[in-house]
Amino acid sequence: MQKPQDEIDTINNKSRRKFVRGLSLLLGGSVTTALLSGNALAVAMAHSITSVSTLNSVPTFAGKIFTLSQLKQLQRICAIVIPKSDTLGAAEVNTHGFIDNQLFHCYEQAEQDKMITLLALIDDVAKQQFSLPFFSLNDKQQYALLTELDLGINNFDEQQRTDFKSLKQLICFAYYTSEVGASQELRYLAVPGGYKGSIPYKDSDASWGSQGLYY
Amino acid sequence: MTEDLYINNSKEVYDAIVIGSGISGGWAAKEFCERGFKTLMIERGRVVEHKKDYIGENKAPWQQPLRTKVDNLLVKQQHHIQQQCYAFTDATKHFFGNDKDLPYTTTKDSNFTWIRANQLGGKSLLWHRQSYRWGEYDFSANKNDGHGNDWPIRYQDIESWYSQVEKHAGISGALDNLENLPDGEFLPPFEMNSPEKALQAKFAELYPQRPLIMGRTAHLTKPTQLHLSQGRVQCQARDECQAGCSFGSYFSTQSSTLPAAAATNNLHIAPNSVVHSLIYDEGSNRIKGVRIIDNEDLSEREYFAKVVFVCASTIGSTQILMNSTSKKFPNGLANSSGVLGHYLMDHNYNAGASGDIDGFEDELDRGRRPTGLIMPNFYYKPDAKRGFLRGYALAGGAYREGWQSVQHQDGLGLEYKNKLKQAGKWRFGLYAQGEMLPRFDNQMRLHPTLKDKWGIPQIEFDCRFSDNETNMMLDAAEQAEKMLKAVGLVNVSSGVTHGPPGLAIHELGTARMGRDPKTSILNAYNQSHDIPNLFVTDGASFCSSAVQNPSLTFMALTVRAVDYCVKEMNAKRI
Repeated sequence: MQKPQDEIDTINNKSRRKFVRGLSLLLGGSVTTALLSGNALAVAMAHSITSVSTLNSVPTFAGKIFTLSQLKQLQRICAIVIPKSDTLGAAEVNTHGFIDNQLFHCYEQAEQDKMITLLALIDDVAKQQFSLPFFSLNDKQQYALLTELDLGINNFDEQQRTDFKSLKQLICFAYYTSEVGASQELRYLAVPGGYKGSIPYKDSDASWGSQGLYY
Repeated sequence: MTEDLYINNSKEVYDAIVIGSGISGGWAAKEFCERGFKTLMIERGRVVEHKKDYIGENKAPWQQPLRTKVDNLLVKQQHHIQQQCYAFTDATKHFFGNDKDLPYTTTKDSNFTWIRANQLGGKSLLWHRQSYRWGEYDFSANKNDGHGNDWPIRYQDIESWYSQVEKHAGISGALDNLENLPDGEFLPPFEMNSPEKALQAKFAELYPQRPLIMGRTAHLTKPTQLHLSQGRVQCQARDECQAGCSFGSYFSTQSSTLPAAAATNNLHIAPNSVVHSLIYDEGSNRIKGVRIIDNEDLSEREYFAKVVFVCASTIGSTQILMNSTSKKFPNGLANSSGVLGHYLMDHNYNAGASGDIDGFEDELDRGRRPTGLIMPNFYYKPDAKRGFLRGYALAGGAYREGWQSVQHQDGLGLEYKNKLKQAGKWRFGLYAQGEMLPRFDNQMRLHPTLKDKWGIPQIEFDCRFSDNETNMMLDAAEQAEKMLKAVGLVNVSSGVTHGPPGLAIHELGTARMGRDPKTSILNAYNQSHDIPNLFVTDGASFCSSAVQNPSLTFMALTVRAVDYCVKEMNAKRI
C-alpha cells in the first residue's frame, strides 16, 4: 500500500524527471537524429540490421498482463493504429506482445489496470453495437469504433479518449523502437559520423528513428 | 599499462595518494605521475576498463529488452534516487550507484538528490561535458555582495591552468570574446542548425548584451595529434555518451587522464577501496595515509603516502574529513574553522520556456549533437534593482519534432502512420541554470547513529533553495518567455518547477577555500590551512557556485594544486 505522501512524491518525481529530461533533450542534442554517413567508422560500428522474426499470426498464449483474448484484441488495435504499408505495421512486429511485457516491467499497477479496463470497454461497446466481441468485427467496424474512441464521441467520453491516447503512446513507443519502426519506417543510424546542422528535407522523407539514449 | 596497475595490499609509502578517480582525481594522478611521483589512486568502486566495460554502448533500442527503460523492481530496490537523473537508462544504469547500499537522510522539510557514480572514472563517465571557464566577476562575486567568503584566487591565477587542461582534455567551442566567459584553447565548435543560426542573429539584433553561443563541450570535434596518440578520435555525434564512448571522443578519466598517468609507470590503483578515514599523526601534524574498508568483503587495510589529495567528490571528500576525528580535530579533520560541511551549493534548474519556430520545413539536421546552445549569464554585473543576487545562464537548442510529438494527436491508420513518419515542427527552448548562494545553513553532516554497510556514518543533508534562488527562477522564466516571443517564436510557454538541490549534480562547497584559516578549510592552493600535506581539489573547495558548469574548474584547480604541492615538497616545506 502506498501512503498518500508517497503518491505525491511519486508524482513530483515524475514531473521533475520529465522537466529535467526535457532539458537534457535540448542540452544533449535533439529529438531529431541521425543519417547515414559513408565513413568507415560508421560502417564498422553500425548495427547489423537482421531480418525481423515476424509474428503476423494471432497470439496463441496469454501474456504477463493480458489474457489470450485480450492479446488478440490488442493485436487488432495495433494493426489499425499503425497498419502495414510499404513497411510492416505494429501488429506484424509484435507490438501487442511488447506492450504486455513493458506494462509488466516498467509501469505501475494503476496503469496496467487502466489498459485492461480500456480493452474491456472497447469489447463492451462492440458487443452493444454489433453483438460481437471487438476481435470478431470486420476491419471497417473496428476502425470506426476506434475512431469514435479516439475522438471521444458517441459511446465514449473524454476520459476514455485520454486513456486511448495512452494506449496509442504505448503502441507508438513499441513500434518506433522496434527494428522495423526505427530503421525501416524511419531512418536509423547508429554512428552518424559527426553533426551537420542542415540537410535538405522533403515531406516524403522519413525523420530519424535513432535518438541516442533518449527515447 | 603496467601489469600490476591494480593493487590490493601494499606496504609502500607512496609519494602521493589520490582519493577518487573522477574528473579531479584523474587529473591529480596524471599530474603527479608525470612529475615522477609514485602515485596511488584509490577508488571505492569497481574497475571500469575503457571500451571493454561499456556494456550498454551502441545498442539500438530493439536490442534492449525494455527498449531503453529500466525495470520497475530494479529501480525500486536499487535506484529510486538515481533514476531521477536524466541520463539513467538501461544503457547507463550500471554506472549509477546502488541506493540500497548508499543510504542518506535529509532533515525535515529539506531535500537533496545525491547522484552517485562509484566506479573507476566516477562521474567523468556520466557528466554532461559542458566546459566553461569562470570569469573575473565570478571570482569576486562573494566579495562584492558579502555572501560567502572571498575566493582567495582571481581569474588570472587560474587562466594558464585552464589553458593547460583544455589542450589535453579537448574542449570544443567558438571564440566568442565575452567579458565574463573567457575564451579557451578550443577545438572547432559544433555546428548550429539553421533555425539556431537565425535565432542567434535575431538575438544579436534585439539583445546585443545577451549573445546566444554554441555550448562549449569536452568533445573532440577535431582531435589533435595528442588526442590521436591516446587512441581518441573525432566525435561521431551519437549522443550516447553516458553509456561510455569507445571512440574516446569525450573527456573522461578512462579516455584522457588515466592513459596519460598509466603511461608513466608511476601509477597504481587500489580499486574497491572505500576510504573510511585519513590517518593523522598529531606529533608531526601530517597525514600518514588512509584507512580502507574493502568494498566487497569489508576487510580493513591501510595505505601510506607523503601527501594526500582528496578528490572523492564534493560530498564524498567532506564525508571523509568529517569521519577522520582526533584529539586535535574532534569535529573533523582540518576543521579548526568549524565551517566543514557548510555552504553546500548546487545549481538551480527550475525554470524554462519553449515555443515553436515557423519555417525551415525543407531542412533537417543530421547526427545527434552532444551539446546545445547557451546564453551565458547576462546578470554578471551586480545590480541592486534586480530583486535577487547573482544570475543564471539559459541553455537550449532547436530541434525538429518527431513521432513523440505526433503520437497524442487524433488519428488512426495509414494517414496517422504517415504523419508519425515525417519530421514535425521546429521547436526551441531556453532552460535556466541558476547560481545558488553560499549559505552557512545549507549543510551536510554525519548522522549521529545511522551507518552504511562499510560502517561509515551516513550523510544527513540540511539544504534548501532560498528566496533568492526562487526569485531568480521566476525572473528566468519571465525573461526566457519574453525573449522567445520577441525573436518570433509562437505558442511560447514558460514555467518554474520546484525540484530540490542536488539534481543538477553540481554539488559544491563544504570544505571551502579562503584567505582566512578561521573561516575556511583550504588556502588558495587547495591545501589545508591546518595540515600541510592534505589537499582537497574537487567541488568541495568552492567558495561559490557561479553560473558555469564546474568541471573545467575542478580540472584547473587540481592541476594548479599539484604543481604547487610538488614545488612545496621539493622545497621540503611539505
